[in-house]
Amino acid sequence: MTLTRLTLAAVTLGALTVTACATMQVNSYVERGADVTRYRTYQWAPAGPQAIGDPRLDNNEFFRDRIQAQVDRRLGERGFEIAASTPDLLVQYHASVAQEINANGVDQPNTDCEECEPYVFDAGTIVVSLVDARTSRLVWRGWAEGSIDDAIDNQTFMERRIDEAVARIMEQLPRRL
Amino acid sequence: MRRLTALTLAAIVATAVTGCATMNVSSHVERGLDITKYHTYEWGPADALPTGDPRLDKDPFFKDHVEGAVEKSMAARGLAWATTEPPDLRIHYHANISERIDIDRLDRDRGYCTGEGCTPAVVSYEAGTLVIDVIDARTNKLIWRGWAQNTVKGMLENQDTMARQIDEAVTRMFASFPRPL
Repeated sequence: MTLTRLTLAAVTLGALTVTACATMQVNSYVERGADVTRYRTYQWAPAGPQAIGDPRLDNNEFFRDRIQAQVDRRLGERGFEIAASTPDLLVQYHASVAQEINANGVDQPNTDCEECEPYVFDAGTIVVSLVDARTSRLVWRGWAEGSIDDAIDNQTFMERRIDEAVARIMEQLPRRL
Repeated sequence: MRRLTALTLAAIVATAVTGCATMNVSSHVERGLDITKYHTYEWGPADALPTGDPRLDKDPFFKDHVEGAVEKSMAARGLAWATTEPPDLRIHYHANISERIDIDRLDRDRGYCTGEGCTPAVVSYEAGTLVIDVIDARTNKLIWRGWAQNTVKGMLENQDTMARQIDEAVTRMFASFPRPL
């Protein structure tokens, strides 16, 4: 009994540590005059070497495959199909990791907050771009940004974080009527 | 069994809480991988990417030590260096040093210092990362990536420290290398 409770407490504490700063900012951009919904098929644009900014993720196939699989899944849900030959769209993604400082208000002259302190964190960004295959012009771009502290070091958390980010990015894609 | 699980979880939580001061080691693995089909390995072509620090670029001592430690760990898992036949696996490593900062909040968090005079200490340090990739030689797909991160303070100018750090990094990384089920 006590042990079960201990286990529960440990799990809860662990979960808290993990989800402590799991917020994400998501946004997107649509090219003026472009109608994303008239496209049907896509292919992945050929990817070059990927410098992500964190040695753990540079050229990391697990990371790349997870993002691509999730984008494929979400595009499929919206009725897009992978083209055998000439696609309507080329899909690209880009990811980056950079250390950031959150000044947490201490750089403001009139802060009342005594407990506020600056902190550093690893900020991750995933950008998904849809490019018109004929004109090579960007049609739509969506992105998600958030803290990925501790996420890279745990494959399961990283996968969950990618899944959430891609789902929320693709949620921004205009829907067919 | 239940006691073991609780203890393990407690240990994980404890590590998560105190984990910032020491070497940080982790890995990614191909899901559903069957490691038993691999028996031999070979070193892949040398790393073309710069380490980000001229003191470490093309350092033969570093290279020899990493390769030696990896070969020892592979041998412990029953994987042999392919000499005649084409190998099942290819190994590749990459080292990187980059400047990072940390804000030390322990003093305030533990109540050693309070109020306005308590400025958090900003620490700048050089973080070294050693990444080891194990690739399926036939499909050319990554099957496992392990890494270790730590401050490189005192490491580049002292070969004994470097050797110890490499040994610890590789040994701890390979502790998570997939085992036969």
